[in-house]
Amino acid sequence: MKKIIIVVFIMSGLTSCVAVKEYEKINLNDPDMVLSQSKIDKSETTFQSYREAASGANGGKTGGGCGCN
Amino acid sequence: MKMKKVIILLVIMLSGISYAQQDSTTVYKKRVLEKTEVDFLFNYYAQDGDNAAVSGGIGTEELTDIVPNFIVRMPLNDDDVLTVDFGVSAYSSASTSNVDPFDGNQPADPFQASTGASESDLWLNLTGIYSHSSDDRNSIWSGKLSVSSEYDYFSVGLGGSYTKLFNEKNTELSINANVYIDTWNAIYPRELRPFDNGLGLSDPLFTNNTITGNANYNPDFKEFDSEGRNSYSLSLGFSQIINKNIQGALLFDVVQQDGLLSTPFQRVYFSDIVDSFIDNFQLADDVERLPDSRFKIAFGGRLNFYLNEVFVLRTYYRYYFDDWGVQSHTASIELPIKITNKFTLYPTYRYYDQTAADYFAPYETHLSTDEFYTSDYDLSEYNANQFGFGVSYTDIFSKFHIWKLGLKRIDLKYNNYKRNTGLSANNIALGFSFVLD
Repeated sequence: MKKIIIVVFIMSGLTSCVAVKEYEKINLNDPDMVLSQSKIDKSETTFQSYREAASGANGGKTGGGCGCN
Repeated sequence: MKMKKVIILLVIMLSGISYAQQDSTTVYKKRVLEKTEVDFLFNYYAQDGDNAAVSGGIGTEELTDIVPNFIVRMPLNDDDVLTVDFGVSAYSSASTSNVDPFDGNQPADPFQASTGASESDLWLNLTGIYSHSSDDRNSIWSGKLSVSSEYDYFSVGLGGSYTKLFNEKNTELSINANVYIDTWNAIYPRELRPFDNGLGLSDPLFTNNTITGNANYNPDFKEFDSEGRNSYSLSLGFSQIINKNIQGALLFDVVQQDGLLSTPFQRVYFSDIVDSFIDNFQLADDVERLPDSRFKIAFGGRLNFYLNEVFVLRTYYRYYFDDWGVQSHTASIELPIKITNKFTLYPTYRYYDQTAADYFAPYETHLSTDEFYTSDYDLSEYNANQFGFGVSYTDIFSKFHIWKLGLKRIDLKYNNYKRNTGLSANNIALGFSFVLD
């Protein structure tokens, strides 16, 4: 818990850094830099949420289901 | 029939929203989505292990699942995008076949999936997401409706999100809320059903088969009173560009679940009750009984590094806990390697661990006097390692065409997942992304 709070504070502090301009975002716009899961990982994430007790904080459930098989 | 009505309602609602959102602004603005995008995803999953929940923590966990998925993202105008996601999961598993292990051609056995009528099933899901971006592209609203159905479960989901970008689009805050209203059509283990309907040992299952061990099989079994399950989730997201080569995100999820959280066909065997068998299959003492509410919290973080023109480093960590006593850590790392301007390799590694839920105990260790009990190893203490490797082909000009669809990207990925409790799984995913001319 303590570690998470430290990470939150560090990342909050980073918002005060100089903003990166649109024309400087060429590397950040690389498809592999997206901050969400790839489409190809969709089913893999579903199986993980079925087989594991933990879920969430990774983009959310996309559809309902008991996950009981 | 119920599924059909909901699908019609979904289509009507989504098309209605699209007309309502026509924007009269005439100033030039870049379209949020230039062209319709179509994704075909195909997934094959296979697992095996020896701790099946359907047979009380022993027996085969064999399962195979084929999931075709079709996703269309279409621009409705400059600002609005409609996403329709349709998926089918065709699976065969020991957990469904051994609900009734006595309907096959061979002697009932927890380590053999029954070949009877309950061997396989279909899961269907349809999700529609409508999103609207503001003229300055700094605010995004979205609404979501989903329905899914399988032989013993039906779910309707409703959700919405709001995203705000500021600081020259270097910072993003989002809030996302979802409600799922689910209903079980509870299926119970075959041998327990006569003890709720009053037939008891005069049921044909027992008159046509010989009970060995304790021949006076008489479980104290009652079906669940309520078959509804509601889930409410709230997600907060914060993402930040750190410099020209690094960006990260923090994610926070809270989930409250109420209703029937037990799986009605998962058996439990008590240590203080004498065992009864038909063939090699031990007859259930009860089904799992879990509390009717669960509160979950998950914190996650992603940090991505653009190392150079060849390497990108993607990292993820999540801490999870709930009021059933489960705590968990998840960490993953992926290193995309651009070997040419069209081909990228994706080696990945994921580590997962969890503590056991308070109500878990292995086969034949619960007591009949316990209030809550389960022998589902998905709620046991374990750790898991997953290694994966993927390859992608990208053509930014979409030169190859099928009808009016230009091929933009092909992905192929393989994962191997291993738990220290013995369960192992293999997953192969294949995806084709097209743009519509």
